Parts: sequence; structure tokens; C-alpha cells
Amino acid sequence: MTNRKDNEKTVNDGLVQISMAQPMTLAQVREKLAGSKGRKYWRSLDELADTEEFRKSLEHEFPEMASEFVDPVSRRGFMKVMGASLALAGMAGCTKQPDEPIYPYIKQPEDLVLGKPNYFATALPFPTGAVPLLVKADEYRPIKIDGNPEHAYNRGSSDVFAQGALLDLYDPDRSQHVTYRGEQREWAEFAIGYRNKVLSTKDGTGIYFLSATITSPTLARQWQAVQKVFPKAKLVQYDPAIAGTALESDLNAQFDLAEAEVIVSLDADFLSGASYPGFHKLVRQYAERRKNPGKLNRLYAVESTTSTTGLKAEHRLGLRASEIPLFAAELARAVGVAGVNPSAYAWTGEQKKYIAALAKDLKAHAGKCAVLPGVYQDRSVADLSVAINAALENLGKTVFLSPVPVNPLPSNQLAGLKALVGDLYAGKVDWLVILNANPVYATPADLGFSTAIEKAKTVVHLGSHVDETGQVAHWHIPAAHTLEMWSDARAYDGTASIVQPLIDPLYGGKTAHQFLQALLDEPGLSPYAAVQETWREMLSKSGDFDKNWRKALHAGWIEGTAFGKNENTVKAVSKQANVPAPRDGLEIIFRPDPTVYDGRYANVGWLQELPKPVTNLSWDNAAIVSGATLTKLGLEEDDIVEISVGAGKVKAPVIVAPGHPDNSVTVHLGYGRQFAGRVGSGAGFNAYLIQNSASPFVATGAIRKVEGRWGTAITKSHYQDHRPKLFGGEGQGNNSLEGDEALGERGIIRYATLDEYKENKKFAQEGAGRETPKSGDSMFPNWEYKDNAWAMSIDMASCTGCNACIVGCYAENNIAVVGKQQVRIGRNLQWLRIDTYFEGDLAAPRAHFQPMACQHCENAPCEQVCPVGATVHTPEGLNSMVYNRCVGTRYCSNNCPYKVRRFNFLLYSDFETESLKLMRNPDVSVRSRGVMEKCSYCVQRINVAKIEADKENRPIADGEIQTACQQACPAQAITFGNRNDRQSRVAKLQADERSYQVLADVNARPRTTYVAAVLNPNQELEDRPVEHTPGKG
Amino acid sequence: MAQLFDRSSNALARMGLVLAGLLTIAAGVTLDQLQRAPWVTRQGQRPDQPVPFSHKHHVEGLGLQCQYCHTTVERSSYAGIPPTKTCMNCHSQIWTNAQLLEPVRQSWATGESLKWTKVHDLPDYVYFSHEIHVAKGVGCATCHGQVNQMPLMYAQNTLQMEWCLDCHRNPAKNLRPASQIYNNAWREPAADHPVWCAVNGKTGVPTAETVDCTAKEPAEESTKVKPTMGQAGIAISSYRKFTSQEAMGHFLVDHYKVRTPKDLTSCEVCHR
Repeated sequence: MTNRKDNEKTVNDGLVQISMAQPMTLAQVREKLAGSKGRKYWRSLDELADTEEFRKSLEHEFPEMASEFVDPVSRRGFMKVMGASLALAGMAGCTKQPDEPIYPYIKQPEDLVLGKPNYFATALPFPTGAVPLLVKADEYRPIKIDGNPEHAYNRGSSDVFAQGALLDLYDPDRSQHVTYRGEQREWAEFAIGYRNKVLSTKDGTGIYFLSATITSPTLARQWQAVQKVFPKAKLVQYDPAIAGTALESDLNAQFDLAEAEVIVSLDADFLSGASYPGFHKLVRQYAERRKNPGKLNRLYAVESTTSTTGLKAEHRLGLRASEIPLFAAELARAVGVAGVNPSAYAWTGEQKKYIAALAKDLKAHAGKCAVLPGVYQDRSVADLSVAINAALENLGKTVFLSPVPVNPLPSNQLAGLKALVGDLYAGKVDWLVILNANPVYATPADLGFSTAIEKAKTVVHLGSHVDETGQVAHWHIPAAHTLEMWSDARAYDGTASIVQPLIDPLYGGKTAHQFLQALLDEPGLSPYAAVQETWREMLSKSGDFDKNWRKALHAGWIEGTAFGKNENTVKAVSKQANVPAPRDGLEIIFRPDPTVYDGRYANVGWLQELPKPVTNLSWDNAAIVSGATLTKLGLEEDDIVEISVGAGKVKAPVIVAPGHPDNSVTVHLGYGRQFAGRVGSGAGFNAYLIQNSASPFVATGAIRKVEGRWGTAITKSHYQDHRPKLFGGEGQGNNSLEGDEALGERGIIRYATLDEYKENKKFAQEGAGRETPKSGDSMFPNWEYKDNAWAMSIDMASCTGCNACIVGCYAENNIAVVGKQQVRIGRNLQWLRIDTYFEGDLAAPRAHFQPMACQHCENAPCEQVCPVGATVHTPEGLNSMVYNRCVGTRYCSNNCPYKVRRFNFLLYSDFETESLKLMRNPDVSVRSRGVMEKCSYCVQRINVAKIEADKENRPIADGEIQTACQQACPAQAITFGNRNDRQSRVAKLQADERSYQVLADVNARPRTTYVAAVLNPNQELEDRPVEHTPGKG
Repeated sequence: MAQLFDRSSNALARMGLVLAGLLTIAAGVTLDQLQRAPWVTRQGQRPDQPVPFSHKHHVEGLGLQCQYCHTTVERSSYAGIPPTKTCMNCHSQIWTNAQLLEPVRQSWATGESLKWTKVHDLPDYVYFSHEIHVAKGVGCATCHGQVNQMPLMYAQNTLQMEWCLDCHRNPAKNLRPASQIYNNAWREPAADHPVWCAVNGKTGVPTAETVDCTAKEPAEESTKVKPTMGQAGIAISSYRKFTSQEAMGHFLVDHYKVRTPKDLTSCEVCHR
């Protein structure tokens, strides 16, 4: 502990930072890996290094000082308060409940049954394509967002952004008033002045609109109408995550992976989130084939940053972003695309082998493969992938090119923005109307937009928050949330959905439709009427419009609007790649953040606290580098570095992502917000400050160490259970019980290659640490589950670690957000986490994603140690928490082998904020301080289904109960049901020979089981990049 | 040195110890009783309401059925409090000038809700469902008392956990035929007024509809004409005669497929 003092430091607010484990040295890590045989898994670099300090930090249930008070209440003050409350505690039982009023309706809506939810179909417009939704409303308050289960595109699945949109709606920091220079005004006053101003220009000279990418066909139609009347008015569309990519253009390549046997990702991160267009459908189709070892596809991923797509791939190749266009060209040549010049680039032997094997595999699967281009890659990658797919006869089979662009008004967004800045400086901009965009924050700093905007005579800002742009705008108009407005949008597959409001605008929000309509002949025409107008012709084709309109609203989509599948016109595409940066230069690559996207969700606490895929970083963004680069730069994780690109400089924490290409730094956009609100302001660093408008997603820069530690909150090691070591384990990973669970042979992760699987179908059951004890091997008598026995099965092959389940769980179960400091000391409350187990070489790992929530053990260790019976077993096998009995001893959490119990150390739930009260799920208790909580298998949903079935005198049908995580999962990796019903999907999955229990040897008999993955590696690349020693692991 | 304490202080000390013990017990008993007292539970208390609505007048006097106002009792966890519209259905025609009804007319005119005070108020961590109780043969009066005798509404029962569990441990003592759920005057079967029940063999209907009961001895004629309860067309031989609540309750528990006490007393049934 000699280093402890050095690691501690006092920060401004007087809190003592906890001392984190001594960081590993890379040499130690390499040594560790070199010496390991067989399959070895690790979760964090600290764990891999396995230093003495790291072990010490794990000996405690929660990291050091986690049990101390960190709020600025002194110990003495605390005792005083406690003394008083102890005296009152005796009286607490006698307090009377306060009177509760009832406010009945005056006239109750006919379709409303109080106590029963209503569901409405709508859609969430998103730059990469709208997500069709089915929103649950309680007394017409939206309380849960999920995908539309009947929609062919996403079949009920969603993603982190769609789930987080709910908290975005109830965000207490949303702007609530129309303001003019900070003074409260009326909308009518603005509307009249605005219309008169524009009319007075006659042709729209000096009127500029800066809008987020227009995805609504109605809005596009309204703009075209405005353009006709005011031909000189200008529209600039700008979305930082879209500008400069193929998504803003008219190229519309659709993929269908249902029949694809070989999938190649050229930096296409299509498995990790909705930042990739078509995510919901692509993941589902990818995962469908992973579930069946007889139909396995094979995924090759070439990528410039470590993503879950690469970690799921059979064969992953990490390349710097600038090398990928060259790789694409090389691959195009290898598969026989005509007219590609050979590049002079010197590929390493390994890379050559990869290209050759990949090209051979692709050619062998011509017509049954797909090459997906990365969104944030150079445009040439998109063009080359079209050429490759064409050469491989994939067009019309797995790849469809549609002449109709996804985007109704394709434009060059960056050029538009540059022209706008030019016009601002030239004094041409009279009125700048900003619609749902935040350009002061989210534009490349080299454009100097924040200075240029001051040149506009009047700036109008329509936005949900008084954000960075709202602060400088003259007029600020609160924007309506998606769930508060009428609009329309198209999903990735082209299907149009009507966006219908679930609730009256909470703060009188307006929409972009109203802004454009105000300039037309009927300025007062409501967005509702405008949307109807757009679709009147389409919906009148067959039968009555009103009837078809209601049908479209009810279903959630308009029939016959999907892109055709036979339109495969290949436009002339460029087949040349750009020249890469020199090998020794440091490349900075920019990506929208996996949880807050371009910054628009920065104030959504769920998404801030959500550990990001791969890095498990929460509440921050970071400079992500490879281990080798870290060593080369003489840095340690969590060091503060200064990244400079051109004139831009920004300070950032540095963290390592295994498998990240060397000499390359990934930074995520969307952080460093100044005026995001109480949650998002001040978190992370602003990467837009070093973004370059000439090449927004890749730049050459430099990195330099500066003083201090950042204090990142990384959740990786929070849950590891190292108690066995305290009780005599040697920590070498050789023992089943005493060993180190992650490195050792406890069989937490079990998988096989296809060949191994064919050899031994019971691979998941056989071998060291893989035996499941018999049901009699317990000192407790067996309970017979007669009626229902709830159980869950999670498919390890399908889970891509996208996190949608975790955010779904937040919304369903009223989970509190705890804040960065609390996450740092391991107090985050997520009931569900995704454990990432890396495997293999530090520079070229593979990873396994394991969703981990309460396992509902039949032989639950937590129940046996609770002194007050606060966690008990139900007759149907649920391990239930009784919050009112819990006194907070935390014995249960100590005794939980899976580390899935979370404790409310402080009063995390917000009982005060009015808008958040509207959001809560009325069927789940909001937990207070001092209470343990954990996954309940969504017991509230089980009870609703049981009551319904009991009333109707029937058993509960299989699939009738869906847990929130299952419902959100785009990969359909989670199955829930009654294990006693032999015909149920979960019973069949659990009977499968690939099913296994995690930590089966503890004999807790978990109800959640995992289906071991089968991988399908290419024989020619078999020994690379992951070493396999079959039968040992 | 002289003794500080007199001999008698021994007795005083002993008495003091005993008294302290007794006081502790007394305090415990007092708190225990207080916890169950109407002062805490509000059992039997009539809070001030905007309108002195009389269930006695409306139910017994006028014969309104419970569901006329509490519309969703069979369909939802929440039985429903009538909207002002329901009051005005009648009171736009009768008693249109009554001073007592001024708040109702006000509400109707201004669109502001009447502000009632909840009489049956469960804590927020209890998840109670009316629909399943009604579907399984628990009558309104079992929990709410004889509402038709209450000029002003009050809680007949404590609604405390021990009271809930009392029934969940043995539902048989409170179940009644489905046709009698809304009958406030329902009397448990006894030797002088037995009840006959039979399984009617219907399938695909809610559980409560699978049993028919009658208070009139089933005879040849009564199966042809409409019986007082239940349905015609069931063989007399299939009727069983019950002279006690316990016996009928167990019959109903079986045929209404009420879950076992083990299931019903599991924590997650009411707390989530």
C-alpha cells in the first residue's frame, strides 16, 4: 500500500478520490498472455496483469471507500442526523399515511381503462432511418418505448437511442418557454413577426434555414413549396453524424443478410447500434443464422477502431482508418473487379494472407455474400463495396440498390455549411432559422461557426433545450419531442410511418412543420393536416382515405412504401482509393458516441451511465488507443493527454481498447457539452473542437501527455468475485472453486469452432469446470415446481453487446441514475450488465458478450444469508426482493456468485422532479435508500399475464410474457418462458446440448442458462488471429 | 461510614426494576395496539368529501348497481371513480338545484375535477388488482363492507397486511358464487338457508362462469324455469348442498381454480 498516497488526490469539491489499482505495465500483460495455453479470457487489462494491487481492490465487495460517505456531510454531522432519526425510528411505524386525493375525469375517454395501458404505433425519426415504435402509455402518458412488433423492419426490437428517447421526453431541463433575448414571449408574437419578415423579402433573400437532416417526407414537401414561393431562401441540412458520409447522398444500398453466408464489414459497425443504417434488421438476420450451427454465416471485419462487430467476427483485421479504402481496393482487385489500379501499398504478410483468404472465400460464395461499407469511411469504400458486390453477383440477392434515396433531400451537408459560414461573414444572412440542430456546439471547429453566427441579424432556434445554440440565438422556440408531434418518417427499408403524438406537448413545443408551413398560403395549417396532405394520394389509391389513414396509424406504417427489391441500377462509381497517411503519423478518428450519439442525448442520464460497448466507459468519452500506442507514448490508462489537430486542441483521458489499430486514436463526438442540462453538461471533452471540416471522420494529429489523472468511470472490474482467493485460493486459475473465475477453467464462456462442434456436440457440457452438479447434490431439500417455472435462455452466439436491453431495463424497472462519482466506486444500479470477455492476443482479440442479470438460482445463495427474509423464493422459482423488509446488510450481495445485486447506498431515485414522476412505470416500486435491488425477471409483467390467464381460465401461452430486455433485443438473443412447459421455446433451448449454466459448479442451479456459441472460422486463417487449442478450454 | 441507602431502598429498587419491565411491555403493547388502531388505519373514519355522497341512498334506495359507477372493476386493477359525467347523467334532470350538488355542477361547468379523498388507500408498494378478485368470487362487500348501509363512505376493514393475508391463507372463507359478487346483502350459507352449487360443464369461459349456484332447492320445475341464481338445464343430481361457508368455499376454491395459499402468500403477488 505504499503507493496509495501517491494515487490519492484531492479534487476541488473536497472529495477524496479513491485510489484505483496500480495500472499494469504492458510487458506484464504480454508475459501473461505468452505463458497462457488454451482459451483464456479476461475482462480488463488490470485483470490480465493481475497485479497485487488489483487483487486487493477486488477483495472488497465494492471498491475501496465505497462504503464511506462521499457526500459532503461530515461523519460527525451524519451521526447527529442519525441520532435524531433513530429516536424517531420507533415512531415511524405509527405514522399515518397522508390523505390521498382522487381527481376523476369530467368526461372519461371511451377507450381508456384506468390501470390498463394503451399502445400506440409511431416512429422515431433518426438520421440513419426511422425506428418504428410501439409506445406503451399509462393514462396517456408514454411510459415505455419499444419497437413495433408487427413491423417487418425491426419486428419489435429497438436500440439504446430509441429506449433513451423516453427520458429525453421527460427531461426536466427541456426548454419551456418561447424567449426573445432571454425574455419570455408568446409564440404568436414570434410567428407573426417571422412570417411578415419573410414575406417582406418577396423572394426569400437573406432567409436561411439550418436544419437537422430532413427525414420527413412532409417536411421535404413543405420545403419544396417554400422554395417555390421564396426561391432565394436557402436550406442547409446538417447532422454531424451524417455530414460527409454516403448517408447524405443519393446512394441507397440496402442489405439483406438472411441468405448471406459470408459477411464482410469494411469498417461497418453494423452490430453495435443504430449509428449504422439498418442496424435492427441486419443484427436480426445475422443472429438468426448464428443460432443454428447448421446455417452459420461467417463474419470478416476489417475495422479502424475496436467495435463489437469486430470482436464478434470470426476473422478481424485491425487497420488504420486511412488504410481501409486501400484494403477495399485491394479486395476489389482480388475478387476480380475490373479497372482497379494496383496500389503500391506494402501489406504485411499477415494482411496479404487475410486478403487472399477473404477473396477466395467470397468468390466461393458469390451471390451468397455481402460486403458492407463503413458509414464513416471515405466515400470510395462505399463505391468500391458496390463494385465488389456487383462483381460477386450479390446485387438483387443480398444487396439492393434503390434509385430512391433514403434521404428525401440529398445534399452535400459540409459544403452547405461552409457556404453558410461564408454568407454569414459576407453579411448576407438576415434571418438564420435553426431547426432542431445545435451548430454552435456540433460543427467542426475549423469552420468557426460559433463566431460566424454572431454576424446574422436575427437567429431563431427551434430546439428541445436552451443549448449552446439556444444561448446565442435571439429567439428560442421550444421544440416538440417526437412523442409530442405529428410528422412522418421512413425506416431504412423505405417503409413510411406516421409519427403520431402520444401526449400533448408538455411545454407547448413547436415543430419544424409549423415553421415552414407559416410561410405558405395556409400558415395555420396544422402538422396533422400537412401530414395527411402528403399521404392523401397514396392512401386514397385503394378505398377510402380516412379508413386507410386510420389503418396506417394503427399498424404503424403505410402499406406499399418500402423500397423495391428489383431496382438495381449501378451508377458509375469511382474505383480508386485514397492514399493513406504515412505509417508513423498519428491518426485521429471521429465517431458518433455509442450512447449519446452526436450529443443530442447528452442529458439522458440512462445513456450517460450506460457502459459503452468494448470499453465499459461510462459518463465520459476518451482517447481510445491500442496497448502498443499507449506504451509508445509513455502513457498509462486514465492519464490526461492533449490531442491537437491543426489549430484545435483538447484534453482527454486515454484508455486502451484491445485490438485497436496502432498509431491511431478514436475519439467519440457528443461529449463536452456546456449547456446540455443537469446531467450532460461538463461530462467528457468536446471532440468537435478538433474536428476538421475537410475530412470530418479522420485526421492526422498529435498527442501529448499533460499533468494529472482524469478519473474515468469504467465498470469492468466492479462485478468480479475474488472471494475464493481470500479463502485459500492460489489465484492461478487452476482450481474450479478457488480459482480466478475469469482467467480460469470455470467455464463461464464456452464455445467451439464448427469443427470442434461436429466432433463433439456436447462440448459445452464436458471438460474441466463444465460439469453440472446433479440436483440432489445439495444440503437443502428440492422444491418441486408444479405449475410455472420461469426461466431464461440467452444465446451467446447472437448477443452483440449493443446494450439495448440495459436501457430497456432502466425504463421498465424505474432504475435510478447514480452519477459519475458513484459509478467510479461501483454503485451503479443497472440490473443487467453485459460482461465482455476478451480472448487471445491483446492486439487482435476476440470477445464474448455475456448479458448478466440475476440468475434466479433455485438454490439461491443470497436467500440463505438474508437475516430478515427480504429475498425469498416464490413457488414459481423467482428469487424476489421484498424492498420493505430489506435493512441493507448487503450479505446477499456478498454471497452472490454472479455479483448481480445492486445496493442503493444513497437516495438515488428522484422523488421530487415532477416530470420524472410521469415517466415511471406504475407497476414497479421506486426504491429508496438502503435497499438492495436486482433483476426480477420483470415480475410485474408475469403478474399481469397470470391475472389475464387466470381470468380467462387458461394456461399462460408461450411467448405471452416478454421481459423488457428480451423485447428490446434486436438479435433476439433472450428467450423467456415456462420451463415446465416442454413445448415452450425456453424449455427446448435449455434442453439443447449447447446450453450451460454459468458457474454451474457452485450448484446454485440458476434459472438463466446460456447457449454456447459455435464459431465458423475459415480453415485458411484458422490459427489467426486467435490461438485455439481445442479440447483444453 | 453510615449507610447511604436505607434498607427499604432494596425493595424500592426491586419495584423499580419490575416497573421498568412492565412499562416497557406496556409501551410495546400500546404501540402494537396503536398500529392497529383506527387512528392509524383510518378504519371507520369518514373523511370530508366535496359532496356528502351516500352509497346507501344510491345503492339501496335507488338500486344502482356497483358497476354503473365503478365501471372497470372486472377489467382492470382499478375499479374506477366515476367521472363527473356519470353524476350529471341523472343530476342534469333531477335535483338540478340542490345546494349539495353545487360542486358537481361546478365541476361540470368549469371542467375541474371533483377532489375526493381516498377512503380505501393502500400504500404505494402494494399492487392490488380488483379484476382478479372479482373474477375469483370475492364480493365487493367482503372488503368494502355493506356499502349499501353507509350514508357516508368509510373503510370497514383495516386494509393492513395481516388482514390481506388472513384471506390469502384461506380464501375459502370469503368466496361466494360469481352471481353474488355485487350483492351487498349476500349471506353465507347456513343450515337454515343452504346454497346448492353445480358445475355446469362450460368450457372456454371465465372460471367463475363454470359454476352455477342457487339458494332455492333445485327441483324438477326450477330447472325448467329460471332459478334464482345460476342457470337452467343442469341435472338436479349434480347439485351439491352446502350449509356452511367453509364447505362451499372449498368447493368454489377448487372450481374457480384459485391458486394455493402458498402461491397467494408469495411476496411478489402484491409487492414488486
